[in-house]
Amino acid sequence: MSTALLARVKDEYGALCERLPASVVGTERRRSALERLCEQGLPATREENWRYTNLRVLERARFAPALTPTEAIADLPAPLEGVARYVFVDGILCASPQVAPDAGIAVSSLRTAPTAAMRECPSVAALPEARLALLNDVFATDAAAIRVQSSAGTQRVELVFIACAAAQVGASYPRVQVTLEPGARLALVERHLSTGDVANLVNCAVQIDLAEGSQLTHYRLQQTGSRTAWFDTLEATLAKDARYELLAVSTGGLTARSSVHVRLAGSGAEVALATAALGDRLQSQDTFALTEHLAPRTRTEQTFRGIASGRARVAFNGKVVVREAARATDSRQSLRGLLAGPEAEIDLRPQLEIYTDEVRCAHGATAGMLDETMLFYLLSRGLSPEVAQRLLKWAFLEDVVSRIELPDLRRRIELEIAGQMSEGASLKELLG
Amino acid sequence: MLKIDNLHVTVEGKEILKGLTLEIPTGEVHAVMGPNGSGKSTLAHVLSGRPGYQVTGGSVTYQGRDLLSLAPEERAREGVFLGFQYPVEIPGVNNVYLLKAAVNAARKHRGLPEVDAFEFLSVVREKMRLMRMDESMLSRGVNEGFSGGEKKRNEILQMLVLEPRLAVLDETDSGLDIDALKVVAHGVNTLRAADRSLVLVTHYQRLLDYIIPDRVHVLVQGRIVRSGDKTLALELERRGYDWLIGEAA
Ligand SMILES: Nc1ncnc2c1ncn2[C@@H]1O[C@H](COP(=O)(O)OP(=O)(O)OP(=O)(O)O)[C@@H](O)[C@H]1O
Ligand SMILES: [Mg+2]
Repeated sequence: MSTALLARVKDEYGALCERLPASVVGTERRRSALERLCEQGLPATREENWRYTNLRVLERARFAPALTPTEAIADLPAPLEGVARYVFVDGILCASPQVAPDAGIAVSSLRTAPTAAMRECPSVAALPEARLALLNDVFATDAAAIRVQSSAGTQRVELVFIACAAAQVGASYPRVQVTLEPGARLALVERHLSTGDVANLVNCAVQIDLAEGSQLTHYRLQQTGSRTAWFDTLEATLAKDARYELLAVSTGGLTARSSVHVRLAGSGAEVALATAALGDRLQSQDTFALTEHLAPRTRTEQTFRGIASGRARVAFNGKVVVREAARATDSRQSLRGLLAGPEAEIDLRPQLEIYTDEVRCAHGATAGMLDETMLFYLLSRGLSPEVAQRLLKWAFLEDVVSRIELPDLRRRIELEIAGQMSEGASLKELLG
Repeated sequence: MLKIDNLHVTVEGKEILKGLTLEIPTGEVHAVMGPNGSGKSTLAHVLSGRPGYQVTGGSVTYQGRDLLSLAPEERAREGVFLGFQYPVEIPGVNNVYLLKAAVNAARKHRGLPEVDAFEFLSVVREKMRLMRMDESMLSRGVNEGFSGGEKKRNEILQMLVLEPRLAVLDETDSGLDIDALKVVAHGVNTLRAADRSLVLVTHYQRLLDYIIPDRVHVLVQGRIVRSGDKTLALELERRGYDWLIGEAA
């Protein structure tokens, strides 16, 4: 099956290669990515770390990108206050903020402003979980490149990616590259949406490079439509004392898979990964998160809260690898799943590989149903079973959502989650 | 207000209430006392509709209606309130959300519009002052990290805000220090009214110094074995339960 698909990838690339912008990904690199993809094959469900991903959608999709973005999007969510927003439709930049951002930050579309240097040939594709990033290399049509200077003060940027084209027309390849210079700070909001209820294919690739002492707070919201297939590969490398906080909330898509690989390359580097995933009906929400400790005194904190309702399947595979040089590291993992339906499925997999001594680890994974005593307590106060359940599900996600420090964004995510959980909107009223 | 007639209740195959009969007239305060494991909490839970309790016989009539046929949330909306012996912690559900949701659920049931958010908050604040609770507790998770005494006060706060017709307070006095006991008793006393009935489950006669009951009942091995006025509590304090256990058998 994979070979047939790869043949199609090749054909579609061959037919299109002239029209793919070399400023985004050089032709050489596209070719070598294609080669490597052919060597390694596309991910398959029989592989351990892809078991819970719905990969069948790839069989029906067209891999080539939708090159002509559709007309401007009418009903975008309101911009966040004090945050410069860039909108990409089917992976291609279509709107920049009116007010240019600070002098200390450069945000550019590599399609139109090829000057910004792209870090060459990252290690991404070395991992079998990162193969879909190669597919992004092959077909990328644009990239958002963000570079923040040391002295710039905390910057705020929002990238909105909207999937528009139907999967038979073309896929969308959001691509983001973030570079923080030593000591720089950035709050980045990355949001994935789709228009209407079209079956789209999205394959996103994000690369993050944090220099010494820099700090990135990264909010990622996956809110694509109910027929979208959303794939994603994120790689971050942290130098000495850099700090990366990733807060991902995934509610959308028919199938969503995110592969995250964080490399703590410098001593004292710290990563906090917090993920909330909500699956309902036939949705599948799958995250693979790998943190690699490569240097001493590095820290990881992984938090996952997932809720599966209906016939949904929610999976989180959290892997922490502590390499030989990474003495005196600290890693914590708290994975929790909530089964909210007899036909739903939760799969939590904490994995730990340690190749050194002097490591502090606290790992825990639990999946279960709603707490009956809590439920009864709420009923005994007059709340209907529906509202009580929603409230408890909501509370379950709070460990992740409460970390969102932009009040405006947090509020919207709360409303989004409330909306996702309720038709009757009673939870929204509660929040009001 | 409430009429319990020959109630039999089984929990996990074991009969706990064995023909309990009790009547609480409107406007009265009754105390229920009894040894550990005699079935007091079971009675409170059955009245509030907690799942897992099987009623195998008898009836419960509340304001002329069959209480047992109502779902737990319907009972609450009809004015039945249970103060839990062990209040539940619900991290992530904000205290004030719960209060508001509870009040609005009852109002909707009565065909009233939702409370005005601003007015509601000022009412809640006033009751919190009465309960000597810190306002910061409003924005915390329901009972999350509250001390034992704070949880009990929070139960009473909920009761004061909900203004039930029938309140069953299961050992609300346990775990309270002397000052807190007075605060809670004062809170309960403000709710005493001609159209409201209260049932206090307690082990300590001390509570009844502050909330003077109209009647005192003794529950032993699933039955009410003796009822009397407030002096019965004093007698129990002196003599313990042994002399009544014979009567239950
Ligand atoms: N879920 C259950 N499964 C089995 N037995 C139960 C269950 N719940 C209660 N019981 C039993 O029912 C009996 C009565 O319990 P209950 O909690 O009603 O007592 P109580 O009078 O409130 O005691 P206390 O004064 O200690 O609070 C006890 O023997 C208890 O062990
Ligand atoms: Mg009890």
